[in-house]
Amino acid sequence: MRRQLRSRRAPASPYGYRYRLDDQDEVNQNYLADEEEEAEEEARVMVVPDLEEEEEEEGQEEEEEEIEEEKEEEEGQGPPTGNAWWQKLQTVSEYLWDPEKRMSLARTGQSWSLILVIYFFFYASLAAVITLCMYTLFLTISPYMPTFTERVKPPGVMIRPFAHSLNFNFNVSEPDTWQHYVISLNGFLQGYNDSLQEEMNVDCPPGQYFIQDGDEDEDKKACQFKRSFLKNCSGLEDPTFGYSTGQPCILLKMNRAPTHREARHPTYTCFYLQRGDENDIRSINYYPESASFDLRYYPYYGKLTHVNYTSPLVAMHFTDVVKNQAVPVQCQLKGKGIINDVINDRFVGRVIFTLNIET
Amino acid sequence: MGRGAGREYSPAATTAENGGGKKKQKEKELDELKKEVAMDDHKLSLDELGRKYQVDLSKGLTNQRAQDILARDGPNALTPPPTTPEWVKFCRQLFGGFSILLWIGAILCFLAYGIQAAMEDEPSNDNLYLGVVLAAVVIVTGCFSYYQEAKSSKIMDSFKNMVPQQALVVREGEKVQINAEEVVVGDLVEVKGGDRVPADLRIISSHGCKVDNSSLTGESEPQTRSPEFTHENPLETRNICFFSTNCVEGTARGIVIATGDRTVMGRIATLASGLEVGRTPIAMEIEHFIQLITGVAVFLGVSFFVLSLILGYSWLEAVIFLIGIIVANVPEGLLATVTVCLTLTAKRMARKNCLVKNLEAVETLGSTSTICSDKTGTLTQNRMTVAHMWFDNHIYEADTSEEQTGDSGDASESALLKCIELSCGSVRKMRDRNPKVAEIPFNSTNKYQLSIHEREDSPQSHVLVMKGAPERILDRCSTILVQGKEIPLDKEMQDAFQNAYMELGGLGERVLGFCQLNLPSGKFPRGFKFDTDELNFPTEKLCFVGLMSMIDPPRAAVPDAVGKCRSAGIKVIMVTGDHPITAKAIAKGVGIISEGNETVEDIAARLNIPVSQVNPRADAGPQAPACRLGSPQTRIPPLWGTRATVLRAPGRGGGPPVSLTPSPPPTGRLIFDNLKKSIAYTLTSNIPEITPFLLFIIANIPLPLGTVTILCIDLGTDMVPAISLAYEAAESDIMKRQPRNPQTDKLVNERLISMAYGQIGMIQALGGFFTYFVILAENGFLPSRLLGIRLDWDDRSTNDLEDSYGQEWVSGAASGDTRILIFGLLEETALAAFLSYCPGMGVALRMYPLK
Repeated sequence: MRRQLRSRRAPASPYGYRYRLDDQDEVNQNYLADEEEEAEEEARVMVVPDLEEEEEEEGQEEEEEEIEEEKEEEEGQGPPTGNAWWQKLQTVSEYLWDPEKRMSLARTGQSWSLILVIYFFFYASLAAVITLCMYTLFLTISPYMPTFTERVKPPGVMIRPFAHSLNFNFNVSEPDTWQHYVISLNGFLQGYNDSLQEEMNVDCPPGQYFIQDGDEDEDKKACQFKRSFLKNCSGLEDPTFGYSTGQPCILLKMNRAPTHREARHPTYTCFYLQRGDENDIRSINYYPESASFDLRYYPYYGKLTHVNYTSPLVAMHFTDVVKNQAVPVQCQLKGKGIINDVINDRFVGRVIFTLNIET
Repeated sequence: MGRGAGREYSPAATTAENGGGKKKQKEKELDELKKEVAMDDHKLSLDELGRKYQVDLSKGLTNQRAQDILARDGPNALTPPPTTPEWVKFCRQLFGGFSILLWIGAILCFLAYGIQAAMEDEPSNDNLYLGVVLAAVVIVTGCFSYYQEAKSSKIMDSFKNMVPQQALVVREGEKVQINAEEVVVGDLVEVKGGDRVPADLRIISSHGCKVDNSSLTGESEPQTRSPEFTHENPLETRNICFFSTNCVEGTARGIVIATGDRTVMGRIATLASGLEVGRTPIAMEIEHFIQLITGVAVFLGVSFFVLSLILGYSWLEAVIFLIGIIVANVPEGLLATVTVCLTLTAKRMARKNCLVKNLEAVETLGSTSTICSDKTGTLTQNRMTVAHMWFDNHIYEADTSEEQTGDSGDASESALLKCIELSCGSVRKMRDRNPKVAEIPFNSTNKYQLSIHEREDSPQSHVLVMKGAPERILDRCSTILVQGKEIPLDKEMQDAFQNAYMELGGLGERVLGFCQLNLPSGKFPRGFKFDTDELNFPTEKLCFVGLMSMIDPPRAAVPDAVGKCRSAGIKVIMVTGDHPITAKAIAKGVGIISEGNETVEDIAARLNIPVSQVNPRADAGPQAPACRLGSPQTRIPPLWGTRATVLRAPGRGGGPPVSLTPSPPPTGRLIFDNLKKSIAYTLTSNIPEITPFLLFIIANIPLPLGTVTILCIDLGTDMVPAISLAYEAAESDIMKRQPRNPQTDKLVNERLISMAYGQIGMIQALGGFFTYFVILAENGFLPSRLLGIRLDWDDRSTNDLEDSYGQEWVSGAASGDTRILIFGLLEETALAAFLSYCPGMGVALRMYPLK
């Protein structure tokens, strides 16, 4: 079929003879091509009985096509005459779909389908390999405890309510400005409801670690931390957590980390930053009054087995703060092995936020 | 593609193009210049010449008039081609190619930082740093490229000294030595052997003047110059000397007919400088590649910019994504890598005694598809040697291999002398014993040379010896010397002669016939006055002695070189004005025509048609070397038919003959190959750089690879391995492949892209992601947790980000993963160093350390 095409096309092309003599073909480009394609090409060549001529024609066709491709690339550089544009458009459309040779983008359907098949198998095998890798990854990873825990070691501190900002700006007389804090706190404390805690968790002895030996995959018991421990900040007596009176409650929570044994009885102390006046905060009430996390809530055995674990909290009740101005507050964890003064990292072992209560 | 118009060597390219209006006009000017030199001074008589230039042919111009003409025409010097100012070159380096993309990135970075600084009270400095780094990268690479270019152009400048320095002119009847620049039209100039001709001269008198026109015509044989008008074509006529050619011997006096740019040389120089200065194939390839990558980068960047806006990211975030994608897509280190690769190769070539003036030219040699070689001196030894002798009805082979020291004189003459010296001893002594009494030198009408000597063996008689074209000699003979006896030259002997002559002629050798006649002592006693004009002695009925045939043997290394070229698919075409049979013999001898191939003549003989009707393309076999032999007019067309993309003829610009060695093409191909490898290597890292961004945007995973880290990879860790690929040894089949066709075999083609992006890049990206997942999973974030975590992850106020194990992370700790990446980078570098420097790796992996 190709030969027929040739004879029909030859007179049309004044440079047709050029290709006749030429023995270049595409094979020499193969050296960087993927092996599969190469192999495929070799295989095709071997089937062809008249090797040289066939290759010649092959190369020739390829060349013509690539010349067309080139023209297409050069589009837009030429003079913008209508005729030339029309020709260019034709070249482009012929490049996209050449009905005579039944080729699209300079390749025949067969060539395209071969490429697609090769890529399909290639990506399928890649997918298989990556699946295998991920599978082995999950085999080597314990579901109960992360392989490495060093990077979470200096525990971070976080506050509630949290609204993607560490600035508390609200107007006492406008509930809209503080309502979302209340909702946030209420939502957060749902898990600490006394009834729930009593039902799910155990009451364990205070002042000592609540160590539960046993298999890794055994479910662990969690200690009760009742909402009522937070007293005035529990939202039970004052459902607005003091926000309606300009005495906001802010809950402090230490980041969970499965092996925080050395975090011995850390205590919170909150104080001003140097930025503000020392006297801006006149009094803070802590609930529980010790302003510390009891040892019985440690260690933490991980999400999977330590099902109903609830982080212990310390509530700060800013009962007397200067109003109508931003008051920066820094809360630090104090305790053995606690780092709280990393200059670059403002959240390791401490938390900094500002209060701006307007009346 | 109007640019290609300047590339004379690419006929296929020139036919297809047509540039804009400005270009057309320029082309028109060039066409004017390309036309034959229009000049009629050589046709004028001396009187007419004197009138035309208003000059006294003995006294020369007056000083006053010379001043006037100098003021009118300007100095006699070639106008240097216009140069681009240095700052423009520098800016081109600074803002060309990828640089502009990176500048955009840097500016966007500063903008983003500015916006952040204005909007947030505690802006992160990331964008500022990134902007500074990007700008620094652009400036440093720009300076580096500029430095490299300045260095190479400095070398080029040193080649510009091609103008004669001093000239001897006659003015007001006095000879004055003046600067060649002050020579004006109409000046009477004297040149002597060793001078450079100061301007185009019409010779008015000469004494044995010969000029070397090789810089103009390529003809290395010195040519006689005399006042006679011998040819219509000013380039061929004898009475014109050309500017900047060399006078080899003798003296001549001439009138200056053109100076400076109006000289023939000046026209050629203008023509040459008017061309787009050789954008080498590799430069075009790199440009093509840059356009491709830039297109991809801009397309991806903009589409993801739009996508991220649609997905609901803020403008600022979208801009940052845009920067990231651009930075990930641009192989920042690539241009530096290419420069380094080229420099390294140039150094390597220098070690092979091959001086490279322009780095990029090296590669051009690699895409050579046709070599047109001069025959004499390039393919052959340029030294006539007697190859065969025919006497006693036998052909004897002479020794051609022996290295014979050449001496001056006519080539055939010295070949004969050499041969005789080797076989019979000193020629000088023989001459002394047989003193010459008369001689008729060779001329083209009688086609023989004759001399009469006193015979040593017979004190009274003379012997007449003659040599010349065999058939002419034979015509004058009636007897033939066989085994020392004179026998009549009958039909049988004539046939034997014809056969021998045909055979030797068929070998492409120059055949000379020899005959002698013992002059009877009675008629011609000693002291007889032989009159060579009146021919008072017999020149007919001589005794034929034999034939000697000579050839210019091919250089020993040439057949091998030709073989290598041909196996590399380079067509070797021999260009010669020799007789077809001679040319064919040489071509066969060096392997240009191999067994089973036909020349045009063979085809003509086979098809029984005249040579002129042969269509070599249609009738020749598929692998015919298209070696068409014959007159100059027919020499060129075959070249046009071979779709020769790059033609290179070993030049003979007056220098020593260039021997044909196939050493540059493999180096050129190696460069191309290794560049391809380097680029493929560099491009592979694009996919693993860009996929994190895409997944970051689409799947909301934490960003695995930051923009600065990408820069570290591109400029730090990836560059050294990419450069090390320039040291790759050649693939074993490098010279067996067909030469690169610049039209179709691009440096970066869809195969390379498909491999670099679709295959290797994908593997790398998967590897990278797997590492990323492993590290995060081992630290607590399983892959399922990562999807959609991006907002909380990047929110600097979220300090209790929970992972799959219930651990809670502060924001600083979680994004500290860069440290792991840096470890990965260090590991890659260490691995590269290990692979390069560990003993034994050179053997095992063919990796060699950088020197």
